[in-house]
Amino acid sequence: MASVAEVNGFKNIMAATLEAEYAFDVEDLRSRTKVVKFAVVQRHEEEGAAQEHELASFEAMMLPCMDAAHNLARWLLRNEQDAQDVVQEAYLRAFRSFAGFRGSNGRAWLLTIVRNTAYTLLKKNRTADLTTAFDEEIHATDYKSVSPATILEHAEDAELIKNAMDGLPAEFREILILRHQENLSYNEIGDILKIPIGTVMSRLARARGKLKQYLAASVSQEK
Amino acid sequence: MNCEEIADLMGGYLDGELDALTSQKIEQHLRDCNKCEEGFEADTALAHAITQSAPYYKATAELRQRIQSSLRDAVGAKDKDGSGQPGQPSVPRPQGERRPVVSQVPWNWLALAAAIILGALITAVFLPRMGAPNADQFLATQLIASHVRSLMANHLTDIPSSDQHTVKPWLDAKLDFAAPVPDLSSHGFPLIGGRLDYLDNRSVAALVYQKRKHFINLFIWPTTPKDNTAQTMVEREGYHLVHWSDGDFTYWAVSDVNINDLQSFKQLFEQQTVRH
Repeated sequence: MASVAEVNGFKNIMAATLEAEYAFDVEDLRSRTKVVKFAVVQRHEEEGAAQEHELASFEAMMLPCMDAAHNLARWLLRNEQDAQDVVQEAYLRAFRSFAGFRGSNGRAWLLTIVRNTAYTLLKKNRTADLTTAFDEEIHATDYKSVSPATILEHAEDAELIKNAMDGLPAEFREILILRHQENLSYNEIGDILKIPIGTVMSRLARARGKLKQYLAASVSQEK
Repeated sequence: MNCEEIADLMGGYLDGELDALTSQKIEQHLRDCNKCEEGFEADTALAHAITQSAPYYKATAELRQRIQSSLRDAVGAKDKDGSGQPGQPSVPRPQGERRPVVSQVPWNWLALAAAIILGALITAVFLPRMGAPNADQFLATQLIASHVRSLMANHLTDIPSSDQHTVKPWLDAKLDFAAPVPDLSSHGFPLIGGRLDYLDNRSVAALVYQKRKHFINLFIWPTTPKDNTAQTMVEREGYHLVHWSDGDFTYWAVSDVNINDLQSFKQLFEQQTVRH
């Protein structure tokens, strides 16, 4: 019967042999791990760099348009909190589809997304103002007599103008804002609203006409 | 044109969206017809009120910060999705537990190699965009920037004068060439003045003309062999650029007026300079 010492000696020899036999493999495995690890790190860095680069060019193009985006959203929603949420949502949407954006007019593209996002929220909230709101009230007043002098007289009354604008249906508010505050061309407006240029011109004419009515109505109420 | 036709086109005229010929007809009608003239004034006042009196809701600083940080979060989220190892940090932490097992030296070499590869990658992505083939694009960008700056910085003119015989000698004295300065006011493009500008590594003359409420910056410099002499028309960021050259000079007109107006400006300018 082998002594305990012998058994231990045998164990030691076996362990040493095993270790020697597998030493190369262990070393090889370690170096493979390193290679794999390197490849993963490299891929991440490349992806990370590409995304950083994408984010940087997105921000360079789109962050300067944030005032325009917010202004449109604020006029459409008539509520600061909703406007902020819509602008944030629109920026995230825009960033997600930025890779596919090939145009040069980033502002018009962003405003299109802001508008779509705003309308989604307006429809969800079932705000009644997607259609004309105060028409009956307006029809009661004699708006046809609104003279250029009256408009000139009240053109600097910010409160009056704002209230009259807010009373317009959304499709009139947005087109007036795009034309007169963002100074966009009919072409750009047509792209954003997805309507032909002729419709841009006629809708603007209707929007101005309606705004004049509202102004005349509130002026005559004041008196 | 009768009053009804005018009423239909009034908005387009107000917004500067009509062609030069139709605009002229309307101008003519407005001179003759008091009623339409009044209507036009009212619409102008209304447009002005929306621009000036109605509030313009700027984005707050907090909103800017919120959006920028949500964009960064979006990048982080994308990164994780791509790794295929949810829950793992996207890039292994430098202080990871395996660090002592792996010897230091190869890692540094690998990092160096990674840096070189990354550098090459970034160069490959960026270089083509800055390359020579886009010299015209680059010039267009400079021209628009110069135009915008001139309107923004309240530095439209160095020599404000509608008199060509004031502007021209002033520019001649400042530059090493004598640019033509025609008077186009009778055609609806009054001269506002002249300015010195610096473009494409040289001093150039900038003439400022007006069309209704829009300004046209016309940049002029002597044609050199590297200048593209072909006529071009560019539309970028809502600005129109028209480029032409005669034997001596290269011209670039930049403005936000509609392209028809800018084209007729160019034609008028060419007619006038040929006569001189």
